[in-house]
Amino acid sequence: MKPVAGIGLRSPHLAEIGRDRPAAGFLEIHAENHLGGSPAGQAIERLRESYELSIHAVGLSLGSADDLDEAHLARVAALVRRLKPALVSDHLSWSVHGGRYFNDLLPLPYTEEALEVVVRNVGCLQEALGRQVLIENPSCYLAFGHSTLTEPEFLAELVRRSGCGLLLDLNNVVVTAHNLRLDPCDWLSGLPGEAITEYHLAGHAVNDADGEPILIDDHGSRVGDEAWALFGEAVRRYGARPTLIEWDTDIPALSVLLEEAAKAEQVIQHAESDAARAA
Amino acid sequence: MQNPMPLALPDLQAAFAAHVAGGDRADLAAAVVGDSISAEARLRIYRHHVAYSLGSALAATFATVHALVGEAFFRSMAQRFIGQTLPTQPVLTEYGAGFPAFVAGYEPAASLPYLEDVARLDWALNVAFHSPADRRLTAADLAGIAPERLPSLSIAVPAGTALIGSCYPLHRIWNASQPGASAEAVDLSAGRANLLVLRRADDAAFIVLDAGEAAFVASVVEGTSLEIAAERATSAGPSFDLSTAFARLLALEAFAAPQQKLGDGPLKAPG
Repeated sequence: MKPVAGIGLRSPHLAEIGRDRPAAGFLEIHAENHLGGSPAGQAIERLRESYELSIHAVGLSLGSADDLDEAHLARVAALVRRLKPALVSDHLSWSVHGGRYFNDLLPLPYTEEALEVVVRNVGCLQEALGRQVLIENPSCYLAFGHSTLTEPEFLAELVRRSGCGLLLDLNNVVVTAHNLRLDPCDWLSGLPGEAITEYHLAGHAVNDADGEPILIDDHGSRVGDEAWALFGEAVRRYGARPTLIEWDTDIPALSVLLEEAAKAEQVIQHAESDAARAA
Repeated sequence: MQNPMPLALPDLQAAFAAHVAGGDRADLAAAVVGDSISAEARLRIYRHHVAYSLGSALAATFATVHALVGEAFFRSMAQRFIGQTLPTQPVLTEYGAGFPAFVAGYEPAASLPYLEDVARLDWALNVAFHSPADRRLTAADLAGIAPERLPSLSIAVPAGTALIGSCYPLHRIWNASQPGASAEAVDLSAGRANLLVLRRADDAAFIVLDAGEAAFVASVVEGTSLEIAAERATSAGPSFDLSTAFARLLALEAFAAPQQKLGDGPLKAPG
């Protein structure tokens, strides 16, 4: 897939996008919102005429020590077969334990034990789908004392052992780095750049924890300056990739998402022309 | 203080699950790095997010209940439900099947005796909306069938169809609670309502049935022949007229298209 800027497809915009077909590099849907038979599913099938799709799952729980939920995996696989997306992704996190689903991207300790679990689950997923998947770095609010790897080291080893690609979310790097007192540029430098297949950009909120600011990944505002700067840095270092504007809460007018995507597109175009000049 | 023996991943996830569900776990807090933001405060962010996001999912599914009771009341009611019943899979539009029954027994809502029925209607509309839009029975499907064979046919209803009965004027309560509805008082003693919830081409909706039609549809859903359904309908509503009711339901696309050509298969014996 070409390095272009796309937007997350959210139900309030579905009718407008279906009618106007605005310029957007690709559309990304959340797998878990489209596993039933709602009218949105038919509308998205029609949008395939105009847009490449990306399917972003939030509930496969690839970090669960429990086995993957086979029934859920089968439904996601059927959706992937039906919509034939250019990209498929989920997160480096877990959300299921003992048959209960927590609807959050819960953190993993970065240990050899957890790595083996994620490698196994990503392997099962890629086998079920018959294709490579991308794994996204999560927003973290805590770290475990017994972690033996950094998050970039963990991701690099996951890529090496499972053959997955990476979905690099720059806002999540900003959030995690702030909350865990890390340097975001250092964080970025530890990644296997050739495995990065997609970028995500979003906004975050600032809350209070023990009287100190903590950043919360709420996808409810425009992309922040720090995430834009880090995006520029990532594109300079690793090259342009398909880039998504994510917005999930307090969803604004479609035009706002398209403006943000146009900003990302400028960064991509700039990098592409630089690369062409250098070649 | 760090735990000398790190928790194995299954134990850590069990402890985290217990924490998220509301139980404080010292072993989990000991595994988390705290600094000027304590391990406990960091863990609470996840607990709050799980509760808040599931509450929001319920508020979206039970939008009319939410509109009737308001945000604060809904949040505390949802909180109690989430504490008892977490989702068992990640599709949140499929979470909340047990919420109407929970609402029925939720003491602080006892002054709103119709709230359970509103919750059942919200749920049925949600299920219908997420059901596939299978082909519907049309007059053309019936064209080749001799009129005398019609009474012995049994006809299926489409996926997502539900019949919601209430002792209250549920359709009026529901309509008055939609965004932009005029603030009109609903007479709760206006009598019972029978609502048929259907997946339509682009949405889900309900239609109001009279007592005879409701008994007819209930019988059809059960799988009886049209003849038996009509008998039951007549005893429920003496003014029931089969051809009028059938034509109305056919026009509303309330029946599923047959799997095989109607009248080709073996017909059920009358009675």
